[in-house]
Amino acid sequence: MNRIYCDIAATTPIDSKVLELMVHTQEYIFGNPSSVHIFGQEAKAVVERARIQVAESLNCNSSEIIFTSGGSESNNIVLQNTLNAGDHFITSSYEHPSILKTASHLGSKGIEVTLVLPSSDGSIDKNSVYDACKSNTKLISIMGVNNELGTLNPIKEIGEFCASNNILFHSDVVQMFGKTPLNISEFNIDFLSFAGHKIYGPKGIGVLFIRKGVTLPPLIFGGGQENNLRAGTENVDAIAGFGLASEIATSNLDDNIEHLTQIENCFLNSLQKNDVDFMLNGKNRVPGICNLTFFGISGQTLLLNLDMQGIAISFGSACSSGSVKASQTLLEIGMSEEDALNTVRISFGKPHTFEDCEKVAITIANQVKKLKNTSISHG
Amino acid sequence: MAEKVLVAMSGGVDSSVALIKIIEQGFDPIGVTMKLWDYGDVGGNIVSETNCCSIESINTAKLVCDRMGFPHYTLDFTGVFKETVVDNFTSEYLAGRTPNPCVRCNSFVKWDAFIHQADQLGATYISTGHYAQIEKINGDYSLLKGVDPLKDQAYVLWGIPKETLSRTLLPLGGLYKSEVREIARKHNLESAETPESMEICFVADDNYKRFLAEYSPEEISNINEGEIVDESGKTLGKHSGFTDYTIGQRKGLGLSFPEPRYVKEIDSDNNKIVVGKKNSLFADSCIVSNTNWLIENPPFENEIECQIRYNSKSVKCKIFIENEATSVQFNEPQLAVTPGQSIVFYDNNKVLGGGIIEKH
Repeated sequence: MNRIYCDIAATTPIDSKVLELMVHTQEYIFGNPSSVHIFGQEAKAVVERARIQVAESLNCNSSEIIFTSGGSESNNIVLQNTLNAGDHFITSSYEHPSILKTASHLGSKGIEVTLVLPSSDGSIDKNSVYDACKSNTKLISIMGVNNELGTLNPIKEIGEFCASNNILFHSDVVQMFGKTPLNISEFNIDFLSFAGHKIYGPKGIGVLFIRKGVTLPPLIFGGGQENNLRAGTENVDAIAGFGLASEIATSNLDDNIEHLTQIENCFLNSLQKNDVDFMLNGKNRVPGICNLTFFGISGQTLLLNLDMQGIAISFGSACSSGSVKASQTLLEIGMSEEDALNTVRISFGKPHTFEDCEKVAITIANQVKKLKNTSISHG
Repeated sequence: MAEKVLVAMSGGVDSSVALIKIIEQGFDPIGVTMKLWDYGDVGGNIVSETNCCSIESINTAKLVCDRMGFPHYTLDFTGVFKETVVDNFTSEYLAGRTPNPCVRCNSFVKWDAFIHQADQLGATYISTGHYAQIEKINGDYSLLKGVDPLKDQAYVLWGIPKETLSRTLLPLGGLYKSEVREIARKHNLESAETPESMEICFVADDNYKRFLAEYSPEEISNINEGEIVDESGKTLGKHSGFTDYTIGQRKGLGLSFPEPRYVKEIDSDNNKIVVGKKNSLFADSCIVSNTNWLIENPPFENEIECQIRYNSKSVKCKIFIENEATSVQFNEPQLAVTPGQSIVFYDNNKVLGGGIIEKH
């Protein structure tokens, strides 16, 4: 069966050039970057070259880049290492679990947490963040792009507000990096988190940007790697892959955005042409993440049926236990529980062609018709 | 194209082998683990492979499906399971009765919600690893006992709707358990050595008293100590709360008589436990409610067989309709006929139907 993967927002396939570099690195550059000899020197060079690539993709200094195991770790480092009992922390209610679960853990340790709700257009209103501030607000964390809706948040404005009020600002840009310009020199952001596997790079590698002048205590004690913040022998081939992936993501950014916009338009037009009754959720989005409600059609049932026809999409929040609950994010933007259960996320990326998105639209149209008939025959 | 079959997979050896038999029969299976219960909600979490719905057993089901090259999904049935099985389990105990949750799970979750799911996924059949058989004669479908007398599970299937029999495949009904394990080993299935699970799945520690206290704390805390009385109403002792007792129980009553006393009746309305000598626990008849027939014409007044609890022997009986109630007359008096338990009717190895024992 010909498979079409439309869950780019969950993770991306790996870029062939990135893979090639990683295989080469894995095979030939096996030294420990901390070793003095030539094997170590070569490995160290790979790590530092990648750090420069990432720094250039953000337009920051390479000393501001720390390699971590991924977005979740980067988020944890920031929250756990900046907040102390008595501090106030503001974040949004629709952040990634690595922010929300950490926040609730910190809440039990005497840190005051305020969750700001998204507005009905799917973004965080900057004024609601400002209004939540108190004299003891230490850190604000707002994601750049929401993973379920693809909606953009005003992180530039919130960053400026934080800078002028002496509040630290963190943004999880896992879904934003490579989809919209992110020149860090134009932003007042203290910390950024993002991950390799959302930008056609490897899994298990991420980055934490820490603005120069901001210091954090170490999270992992040991041999002093990653500027003493995160000890442990570097994951050299993944770091190499990440470096190249971030360079590719930003050097062709305009083309990528144009491609994603065209693919998304083609897909949505094709759904309309095939008489599918749907609603596109969220305004002011990055292209490629389509959060769609198909009225009267269970999102889970649609996902399973499409999967059996080789088309991979996403429903609700993936959970290891398999429980299906209406997405909290969708409920918070004012959707009814029934509509939320009838909503799926279809995300496109670099590999998709017009042919792909038309095929996906037609398959969805046929499946939606079939399921409508099934539910009618059941009364 | 091969017809699709939704195979209910717990992650245990039986349902894994059911999948293999379905593949061998030329169908196109979809493995589904029905998530029925969140152990985190009401404790009792013993993390082991026998613990159905645990992450481990879901993963085992996934590995088996991956090995055989077919899709696997975990689908959430926690809502319907709670409403139709767990809530009933609790309310039955609170009414002084002894429920049979597996029967209700089969009737309302597996042969109702799961069949509906099959429709949604374009599957013609559903399949489970139950040890029972379905026989088709002249276009009519019947439910038969499994050939392995030690594993036969026909008893817990009496409540499934008759019209679903034609859409049900029970590929283990003709096999012995030892053969099932052998097939699993031959295919190197991850589940080949999973131990037998005998307890009620959502009471993983097999401690129903602990479960009731956690699930319905308010109701249970309202159940006080009360009197243990004899059949004439004379007080003999004290009980710790009527939900702690079952019909036929002898041990733990704190009574001392030359001839042992047994729990004869649980009187939840008056908070009393009635005890009697063993011979007083025999009944020649009982009233049955919620009957479900798996044959066209219920065999009223004919001599048939019935089974009044899981793993007990079948005995001869006749069924009558009296004042719109179904009553069962046993040929020989039966010991500890327990309200809330299922009574299942047979003609040899064919399941005719069943119901819930009300009173005798």
